Amino acid sequence: MRQLLLAIALILPLPLSAQTAPELVEDVLSQHVLPGYAALVEETGELATVAEAHCAPGDAALRTAYGEAFDAWMRVSHLTFGPAEEQNRLFALAFWPDSRGVTPRSLSALIEDADPVIETADGFATVSIAARGFFALEFLLYDEAISTMGDDAYRCALVQAITRDIAVTAGAIRDDWETRFAGLMREAGTNDRFQSPEEALRLFFSSLNQGLEFTADLRLGRPLGSYDNPRPERAEARRSGRSLRHVALSVESLGQLAHLLAQRDSGLQADLAQAVEIALERAEQLDDPVFAGVAEPQGRIRVEALQQRVREFRDLVQERLGPELGVAAGFNSLDGD
Amino acid sequence: MTTRRGFLASLAAIAACPHPGWADAGSPDFLSAARAPDGSYRLCGLTGAGEVLFDLPMPDRGHAAAAHPERPEAVAFARRPGNFALVIDCREGQVIARLETPENRHFYGHGAFSMGGDLLFTPENDLDTLDGVIGVWDVAAGYRRVGEFPSGGVGPHDVMRLPGSERLVIANGGIATHPDTGRVQLNAPTMRANLAYADPESGPVEVVELDVALRQNSIRHLAMTPSGMVAAAMQWQGSEGEHPPLLFTHEQGQAPRLLSAPEDAHRQMRHYAGSVSVSGDGRELAITSPRGGLLQRFDRDSGAFLGAVALEDVCGVGPDPAGGFFASTGTGVLTRLSSDRPLAEAHTRWAWDNHLVAV
Repeated sequence: MRQLLLAIALILPLPLSAQTAPELVEDVLSQHVLPGYAALVEETGELATVAEAHCAPGDAALRTAYGEAFDAWMRVSHLTFGPAEEQNRLFALAFWPDSRGVTPRSLSALIEDADPVIETADGFATVSIAARGFFALEFLLYDEAISTMGDDAYRCALVQAITRDIAVTAGAIRDDWETRFAGLMREAGTNDRFQSPEEALRLFFSSLNQGLEFTADLRLGRPLGSYDNPRPERAEARRSGRSLRHVALSVESLGQLAHLLAQRDSGLQADLAQAVEIALERAEQLDDPVFAGVAEPQGRIRVEALQQRVREFRDLVQERLGPELGVAAGFNSLDGD
Repeated sequence: MTTRRGFLASLAAIAACPHPGWADAGSPDFLSAARAPDGSYRLCGLTGAGEVLFDLPMPDRGHAAAAHPERPEAVAFARRPGNFALVIDCREGQVIARLETPENRHFYGHGAFSMGGDLLFTPENDLDTLDGVIGVWDVAAGYRRVGEFPSGGVGPHDVMRLPGSERLVIANGGIATHPDTGRVQLNAPTMRANLAYADPESGPVEVVELDVALRQNSIRHLAMTPSGMVAAAMQWQGSEGEHPPLLFTHEQGQAPRLLSAPEDAHRQMRHYAGSVSVSGDGRELAITSPRGGLLQRFDRDSGAFLGAVALEDVCGVGPDPAGGFFASTGTGVLTRLSSDRPLAEAHTRWAWDNHLVAV
């Protein structure tokens, strides 16, 4: 037996050297976080530029730019800590779920009053965060009531104010990462924010875990509702037909983060890649872009199956990647209640 | 509220003497939910020596329990957001009543009895408003639902009764959730936790909030000294870059007192205190963090940090009848702590769930 193990040990290629925690942090920063925010800054800048010349709700160029910028946001939306958390930037970009309907209410109030607060960037930054960001813009472009309410010129100015504000917020998050937060993570152990590189890794891990839960429980769970009370009207970004797309984009991006964090265990990396692929295949086959099918038994089963695949990915992350990164996967520590 | 009926019922119970007490169930010191080695979920009675006196089946994972003040009856609550609780006769191992929440309510996993044990109070979520309510159940009528009152906040979790009084203290965690979306927080931008005192007849009478900078410190679990000082354990939902205290004490009409270990030790709690207890001699307080694998002790009077014990997946903590603390872990450890050292460990293959409820 011992000889057999020895033989296997000789055959298996040993990694030249397992990545250290600082190397893993660097990889996540340079391959995931910073490129993700660079893309967001570029796409939101483009959106603001397009909106200067095209602000009508049905404008094809505006809708395309909106879609591309929203895509870029979905790829980093799980990085909810640090720069995104400062000054509520995260909610200023994406106020969802909006269970009390604050976004349409705030937008209606602005439009009905033709409130001049939107005329300057500083003024606009003071309006309710529910009236800022991608979801407010979606109402102005796609919601039947809001997109036709009040004065066309005012709504045009509002679209331009929101797109400029989105670009400014995205730029602020990116700058904060580049000039401050990435450095704190790289130099973990020498500053108070991160007392060790492991602490920085654990933060990435918890974004991954929470991102998967957000997708399973909110992006899929909210429209699913319960069997007796399905809630398709709660699907994320359903007005622009992006609900399923958001699930796929988040799983893909979280898959990339998981891949980078699992580099020290190639077996785990392969299992994670497979879980991602299975979930993405399931999403691709769904053919129900806004989860309208949740109200019908057949359609519901298919959305539940997608949710189940996302949860299997999350289980793998919790049960195997967590311990690999020094995060306990215990009966109580995972329960968190 | 129905105190006369409760009074009459308890007279009737006395008349029907001899009536059973906790001694008839072996006099457990604690109740704890657990997962057995075969994967089934149980409610157990434990002694301070780590003996398991009874283990009774539960249909699903439990959380905490409420022990009737006199009779050997335990109400075992389902894990949040459960809709059921079982009333178990701990002598016979029989389920004698099953509580189901009204439509549009769910339990949070905790409950408390009135002084004489005639009423049971249960923190619940109102699914229409996502505001907290306290359900009221008439014990003598077979645990019949008789009413509810506002908890004074959102996401009420633990509830306790002040000693020698019918007044309740409620940990309103502040986090709005809906079972359709699991445990995901629906009110991050507006969350505000509080500690509320309430009388069953009139609802909340005093609501204590910490500084607004701590609005995202979810107040979740409670312990009580014999004199009525409340110790509240918290779970930080705000920035991971901040490490605010996870424990405070409060006495009615006074300002809350925040307690934490020195920074390095405090950070090891990983923003999370899962349970809190007063020591058996009443002189110390302890909080546990399963995420940090740590139990920390504090002096009740001075608030000084006294030390920590590392225990993997520790969460349950209760007063050791011998004076210190008793703790349980998800890895099967039941242990008595004295100073900073485990005294006796009874390793088992059972996963002990979040809380040890003192009987």
